[in-house]
This record gives sequence, structure tokens and C-alpha cells, in this order.
Amino acid sequence: MERKTPGMLGRARAVGLNKRADRRVGEAVIGTLLLLCALVSVVTTVAVVYSIAEETFQFFREVSVVEFFTSRVWTPLFENQNFGIAPLVLGTLMVTSIACVIGLPLGLGAAIYLAEFAGDRTRRTVTPILEVLAGIPTVALGYFALLFVTPVIRDLIPGVNLFNPLSAGFVMAFLILPTVTSISVDSLRAVPRSLREAGYGLGASKFELITRVVVPAALSGIIASFILAISRAIGETMIVTLASGGRPNFTFDPRQEMATMTAFIVQAGTGDQAAGSLGARSLYAVAAVLFTITLVLNILSQQVVRRFSEKYE
Amino acid sequence: MKASLSAPAGAARRPGKRLVSAEEARRLAARTRAGRIFAVVTFIPVVLAVALVGVLLLDTLLDTVSWQIVEPSSSTSGESFPWSAAPLGGREVIRLDLAAQGETPEDVQAFMNDPEELRLFEARGRIELMWRTEDGPFRWVVTNSRDDSVADIGLFGVNAYLSELRGELAEDVEDLDPAEGGLLGRLQGADLDGLFNRFANIGLLSSTLGEDQNLYLNPWLDLSFLTKNASRTPVVAGLKVALLGTLWVMGLVILITLPTGVGAAIYLEEYAPENRFSRLLELNIRNLAGVPSIVYGILGLYVFVRLAQIGPTILSAALTLSLLVLPVVIIAAREAIRAVPSTLRQASYGLGATKWQTVSEVVLPNAVGGIVTGVILAIARAIGETAPLLLVGAVGFIAYPPNGPFSRYTVIPSQIYNWIAENDVEFAHVASAGIIVLLALLFVLYGVAFYLRRRFERSW
Repeated sequence: MERKTPGMLGRARAVGLNKRADRRVGEAVIGTLLLLCALVSVVTTVAVVYSIAEETFQFFREVSVVEFFTSRVWTPLFENQNFGIAPLVLGTLMVTSIACVIGLPLGLGAAIYLAEFAGDRTRRTVTPILEVLAGIPTVALGYFALLFVTPVIRDLIPGVNLFNPLSAGFVMAFLILPTVTSISVDSLRAVPRSLREAGYGLGASKFELITRVVVPAALSGIIASFILAISRAIGETMIVTLASGGRPNFTFDPRQEMATMTAFIVQAGTGDQAAGSLGARSLYAVAAVLFTITLVLNILSQQVVRRFSEKYE
Repeated sequence: MKASLSAPAGAARRPGKRLVSAEEARRLAARTRAGRIFAVVTFIPVVLAVALVGVLLLDTLLDTVSWQIVEPSSSTSGESFPWSAAPLGGREVIRLDLAAQGETPEDVQAFMNDPEELRLFEARGRIELMWRTEDGPFRWVVTNSRDDSVADIGLFGVNAYLSELRGELAEDVEDLDPAEGGLLGRLQGADLDGLFNRFANIGLLSSTLGEDQNLYLNPWLDLSFLTKNASRTPVVAGLKVALLGTLWVMGLVILITLPTGVGAAIYLEEYAPENRFSRLLELNIRNLAGVPSIVYGILGLYVFVRLAQIGPTILSAALTLSLLVLPVVIIAAREAIRAVPSTLRQASYGLGATKWQTVSEVVLPNAVGGIVTGVILAIARAIGETAPLLLVGAVGFIAYPPNGPFSRYTVIPSQIYNWIAENDVEFAHVASAGIIVLLALLFVLYGVAFYLRRRFERSW
């Protein structure tokens, strides 16, 4: 795309047009082309919203919104169709909470260690390993959850189903850990030296300095990292599809099989539902809920950073 | 940093003698100790994360090997070859086996060049690394694939196998001969329930073997794994179809995202006026980067597969993944462009260059390292994506490699997903072999990105 232009300029010169005017035209053409590239992202957003909204709208012409949000049975792919998204939302919440209970403190702890205690060498060794952890394909993590973590958990805790949110949540904790750590490290290290020195000057110990000065000062970044991690956990698909199972189950017992919203989308999207059938449309309705939740969380995390971050100049 | 670290410790020590009461000194010591404990506590997550990566890699790698007990009389072709004769296994063992059967070198070569003959050979027989044979340890043997006396067992399945054997022996305890009776005694004395005594029990496993039994080690990951087509039989299933699918999809993704992503980045950094519209563009890109990947799958399913009627083809997959990684490419390219100092641009303008001449001759050449690194990292992310592609067609059994953008396809991660979903012990081994290949591919990409980042790193 960019290559064309010198050619155009060259040809124009040969024809003998006014160089300056031609240049201006060429520049304008290039500017427009580049703008078009940038507009692809806008088109993507519109397409995402449109593709979800269109089918969701069709879905809610046949299914009542009240049933969708209040019923506790979700069987859109069966003969006797029921459309209550509650079990899927509960499944997602269950896996996400388990992942957060383990992953958020671990991620923050690792961030504090890397930012405040670790020497240069440790930091240079550990950071790439965390990047590798973040880069492991989720299908590999799902395999690990199903075939390694689940047997171990079933050995330790009696009555755990083969598919369960426990092992999915445990492995997902390590998926979100690098997200929390990398963003939190950045915001911890951004806390200015003067604040630290003031803290020491007041007689604070290292522990007191970190918990009373550094972490509060970096809180906006830490909270933003938590929200992003939660959003990532909610949208994660392969680990839960493989390890948490596909049967929607309205229960608060994490030993039972529980389907999440994303697992259902995979299940419905890879099944042989006829396009346009109510079963196929339910996929878009679930996606609408998922998309809304993650979008709200993403905007929230940006707001947290903008509103509450303290500028030190 | 270092200086401010030592300050409180010194402050605590100095007044310890006279100025501070014993009570207060104790409190000071406790406060210092709290800091040390805190350092250890925050170090634990780092250890856990590193350990998890290690355990995951080790477990997956160990899963690519399985063992089984086979009666040689019924299953081997009678010849075995030392491991060192064909360290990579696969084709080389076939060649050795054919030669051992008395084929001339020309016939062997003709056989090896005929894919149909090879396919039949691989469908009938399986190449196994024998752990213990009468000829010695670690030898290759070609066996018949229908001859298994025991199903494949993972390295961690030792306890399960032994307790099953114990149950069988205990059932007909009257008919046991003395040797089997002794074995039963040993088995009853062993602890077969714990998580961590599997390794100790491997020795016990060896002693359960009868005179005519051999212990096989099956490596599921060898070179032939990359060249075998897909199959419904685990032992002959290979990664070729998925590997070519991944290469096709990634090639197209690079073709689409490189110009678009860099173009958008140039626009945002160099051309975009400071107004609401530009801010909206930026906000939009940042939010797109946070959309779950499965949602892109729905977009691909609705827009490319159904509306545009491209169908579940390579092109649909490439377009879907391109939209998925575009925000990543844009963000990386913008950072690289922003790192080029504005003095260079001003110098270029000063020489009378137009905006585009400045961008193409000055800015881009100086930002190329960062851009390429960003694109490679984005591609690495796209290669590992499974969920969106499951919705746009990379699902189900694809027997033959793709031959163009409009052919049906599968990619490595979705092939792995399908193997895991088979819910079969042997397919789980195939899946682990696939995961190792995928991880190796990613590590190569990360390595290249890391190298380029170093190579092009410059300070202004």
C-alpha cells in the first residue's frame, strides 16, 4: 500500500505535471488510506455490536427478558427448551471467584516482591517466565487442568466431579496472575522516590512503608489490574470448556460440574444447530451478556486509572 | 533504592543501646522482622508461578511418553534395533525393519517414496521404543497396532495399573503359582494410593513382568508426528493437517494485519488531528483489545461465515484472527513510532521532505525493529488462539491438508482441543505431543522477538 506512492510520484514527474500539486494530491491520498486503516477498528466495533445485537434482538422476540434473567434452568439445545441464564452466570462467577481468590493476592504479592524486594538479576529472570506463563495457549492450560490438576484435586478432596470449577479456577488463577503482576509492578515502580524517602524519614520500616505508603499510592493501578484480570477471567474460554464441563448447573457447590457462559458459546457454536433456530440464537444472547459485562469492566478499569491515579510531577 | 533500603535498619540499630528502652527495642526488632517475613511471603507467589510453568511443561512432556506391557511372541516382527541406530525414530525405523526383512536397498527406497505404502505400513504397525527386551534395553521394535495386550498407560499410571493387577491376583488366590503368590505379597505390601510414590513403584512394576513379557515405552512425539495426516486411530494420528492450516492462516493474518495495523498506527501517531474523533479512535482500540476472544469468534461466525458467505474456511479464520490481533499490532506499532525522536522528523521537514516522505524514509526505518517485534508477538498470540476458531470452522475431523484460502481447515490448537475432547487415553498422549509442538513453535517466535528487540534497541 505504501509502496505504490513513489511510483505514482515518479509517473507524474514523467508526464510533467506540476510537482507541487501532485505531491499534495499524493499526500492527501496517503492520508486517506491511513485513515481507512484506522477506521478498520471502528468498523470492527460496529460489526461486533451489530452481529451480537441483531440476533439477540431476534432472540428476545421469542423469549421473554424476564424469563431470561430470572429462570434457573438453561436447556436451549434440548427438546424442552428453557432459557434462564442464571446457571451460566453462576458458573462463570464461580470459576472467576476461585481464580480471583487465588490469583489476585498471588499476583499482587509477586508484584510487590518484584518491585520492592527483588534484585536486578531476579527481576530479569522472573519477568520473562511470567511472560511465558501469560503466553501459554489456553488450550494447553485446559489440558493441564483436566489431566493433571483435576486428578490431584480428586485425590485430595472427596466427591469432586471429573469436570469441576475448582481445577478450572485454580489454573485460571495463574492465567490472570501475569496480568495483575505486570500492571501492578509498573504502578508500584511509578511511585516517586520522594514519597518513599519521606516515609523512611518518618521512621517507617520497610513493611510499614510498603503497606502504608507505596501500595496506597499505587492503588489505582493495582485496582485497574484487578478489574482487567477479572474481565479476562470472565471471557476465558478454553480452560473452562475443557475442565469445568458443559452442563449448566444451578448450584453453589464447586465440586459439581458447572458450565460457564463461554463454555456454552463454544458448545452451541460447534454443535449442529440450524442457523436462525432459537437454540442457535441463544448463543448470541449469552454473548451479549458476556460482552456487556467485560466492556463495563474494561471501561471501569480505565476510569479508575484516570480518576484516581495521582500525578506526581 | 539501595541507599534508602538500608536507612531504616541503621536507624533502628543505632538507638538500640541507651536511648531506647528494652520494650521499644523489642518493638523495633519486631518491625524489622515483619519486613523480612513480608519479603518471604511476597516471594512465595513468584515461586508458585515459576513452579506452575515448570510442572506444566514437565507434565505435558512426560505425557508424550507412555508404556505398555506386551507379549513379544504375538506382536513383534522378531527384529529389534538399538535406539542409537535411529535416534529420531519414525521413518528411519521403518527403513531398518524393511532391510531386516530382506528387502533390497532399492526396494526400500521405492517403498519409502510411495506415500500410500507408507500410510498402509503406519496403519498396520506401530513403531515403539522398547524399554526392556531380550536383546537389551532401549531398542526400537515394529509391532502390529492391533496386538496391544494392555492399553497405553501414562507415566503416572503406575499405581492404577498395579492396583488393578493386585485386584486380579487377589481374586483367584488359590490358583496362583508360588512366583505369583510372592508378587501378590509384594503388591499387598506396597502403598498404591499416595500421590508421590509412583516413582518408587516403577521398580515394583518391573518385577511384575513375566518371562515372556516386555515393557514398552511409546514416544508419541517423534518427527513422523509432524508429517502424518490426521486419523481416527491415535497411533497414526499426526499434526500435518493442522500444522499446514496454522501456516496458511498465519500467513494471511500477517498479510492483512501488517499493512492495516502499521497504517492505523501511522495515522494515529503522525496524521491524526487533536480532536474528539481521534480520542474516540484511541478509546475504541483500547476497548477492542479487552474484548474476549470468543466474541471475535461470534463476529467471524456472523459476518464472515454467514453474511459474507465465505463459509468455515481458512479465509474466514484469517479475517477473524486479524481483527483479533489488530489492536495489539496497532498498540505495539504506535509505541515503536512514538519512540522515534521528533528531532529526526524536524530535520527531515527541514530538508523539504513531505509528510509521507518523512514517515516512509525517516520514521518507519527507525521504528522497524519495534514494529516487527510487535507483529511477531501478535502472531504468537494468534497461533495459540483456539476459542474463536472453533466458532468459524476449525472443529471436527479434517482429513486432508488445506490447498487454498477457501478450503476447510483445522489449526494446531483446535486440533489439540479435538484430541482432548475425544476423551481417550491414547488421544490424550497425542494431544500432549501436539501441545509440545505448539509450545516449541511459540518459544521460537518469542526467541526471535526477544532477539530482534535486543538487536534493534537503540537509545537516542
